[in-house]
Amino acid sequence: MKEIIVVEDLSYTYADGKHKIEALVGLNLKISKGEVFGFIGPNGAGKTTTIKLLLGILSPVDGELTIFGRPPSETQVRKSIGYMPETADYYRYLTPVELLNMYGGIFGISKGLLRERVKYLLDLTGLAQDGSRLMRTFSKGMMQKVSFAQALINDPDLLIFDEPTGGLDPVSRKKMREVIQQLRGQGKTVFFSSHELSEVELISDRIGLLNRGRLLAVGTSKELLGGKVDSQSLENYFLNMIEAKV
Amino acid sequence: MRAVFAIVSAMMRELIRKKDVYVLFIFLIVLLTILACQNFFQIEGISRYVRDFGYTAVMFFSFIIAVTFTARQIPAEIEARTIYPLLAKPLSRYTLIFSKFCGGAVVSVLCFILFFTVYGLFCFFGVEGVDPVLFVQGLIFGILCLCLVSALVVFLSTFMTLSANVTVSFLLFMLINGFSGPLRNTVLLTRGIASSAAGVVYYLLPHFDFYDLRIRITHAWDPLPMWLIFSVTAYTVFYCFMLLFFAGAIFRRKRL
Ligand SMILES: Nc1ncnc2c1ncn2[C@@H]1O[C@H](COP(=O)(O)OP(=O)(O)O)[C@@H](O)[C@H]1O
Ligand SMILES: [Mg+2]
Repeated sequence: MKEIIVVEDLSYTYADGKHKIEALVGLNLKISKGEVFGFIGPNGAGKTTTIKLLLGILSPVDGELTIFGRPPSETQVRKSIGYMPETADYYRYLTPVELLNMYGGIFGISKGLLRERVKYLLDLTGLAQDGSRLMRTFSKGMMQKVSFAQALINDPDLLIFDEPTGGLDPVSRKKMREVIQQLRGQGKTVFFSSHELSEVELISDRIGLLNRGRLLAVGTSKELLGGKVDSQSLENYFLNMIEAKV
Repeated sequence: MRAVFAIVSAMMRELIRKKDVYVLFIFLIVLLTILACQNFFQIEGISRYVRDFGYTAVMFFSFIIAVTFTARQIPAEIEARTIYPLLAKPLSRYTLIFSKFCGGAVVSVLCFILFFTVYGLFCFFGVEGVDPVLFVQGLIFGILCLCLVSALVVFLSTFMTLSANVTVSFLLFMLINGFSGPLRNTVLLTRGIASSAAGVVYYLLPHFDFYDLRIRITHAWDPLPMWLIFSVTAYTVFYCFMLLFFAGAIFRRKRL
């Protein structure tokens, strides 16, 4: 199976004045094509830091990192990546359609294709009614949908979602999970972070557990639990893992 | 190029949907009308005041737009966290800096052209005529000046806070426009190492005074020779290039 993400001994340290925060320590990961990988960990575990490294927004302090076999610092690598940030307050003076057109323009998507794509994504995220309204008035959940739509504008092969379901109502959450399943069906690779177990368990092929910058466990839920899988035992497993290391 | 265009058009939407420009535009018309009304009293040379104050107002208002609009671009992206989805696109940090410069320049130049056209109309109602060629030159110099301002502000915004950036830009603009002559004399009069140091600083500063055609337009002098226009254009291109190059280099290293 083809490897889309390869991470070897990746470390990152924030220098916050005199303090040094080891946000990530010796991370090793391989993610194959077509896989849905759930990256789980408590707040401050280093999930967002990992994602910023994958996107080339931060440069590794130590270790190796390739996406599609190339370093993420190469601009062209990002042509086939879709990224949904943890939170973003999209331009309040634009409408979702204008936002998607701007991002589509950055990707160099042709005008005709872009028009279809925008329409498709607004329908998919349930924003069709609000496509031409200024985002000034949007609620957090609506912004989250815009954020999801923009991540798909370039029909990417690799999707990186940072806590995609935060701030969504249960109906929208379910819808989001369905779309992720649908993307898997299209052969896309999905890397998403979450601090909610139930979420990760429902849609992931494999799970990675991160705590304080260290990867504690990685595998399918069956592998991690040795057979019997129910959400209660998975939760206990994770709590034990995290508490054991504290 | 598509990327630059996409970012610039979003910035133009921002300009249209935020109200700052309309306020300045109405203010300018009121100001010019008041100045022009003085003409009815037929005091000799009064149309010079229209040209003099009008020119200053047009330049200053355009400068305000260039600075306030361009300076908030990068801090706003960081504050709203839209910088991350933007940088996750196939867009280098150099291209982003260049796009923000283009957007700032285009937006302020459009406002300037609007302001200057209104100013031109008011001036032609005056008594003395000004050579239209000189007006066109004033327009060209204004455009060049705003490009320089946008490049400077984008450069400063890579390492300064919004308020520091605005303050420094205003101070530099005032200082160089108002005291370029005395500054040069001071540089020429001082001796030794201090002189060379002051000289270097003086010549490195962005020379907004190069673009100032206020006196020439006020007194309806002859248009500028072509070689001067070319020199000032070359100066602007070079200076903007250097500023954007350093802005890109700083921004590339910036931890976001
Ligand atoms: N810009 C920053 N400066 C200093 N420390 C940071 C910065 N960003 C994150 N951190 C720290 O790095 C650690 C990991 O953060 P993050 O990757 O955001 O965690 P998560 O996304 O898993 O909640 C935390 O301890 C956080 O406080
Ligand atoms: Mg996070």
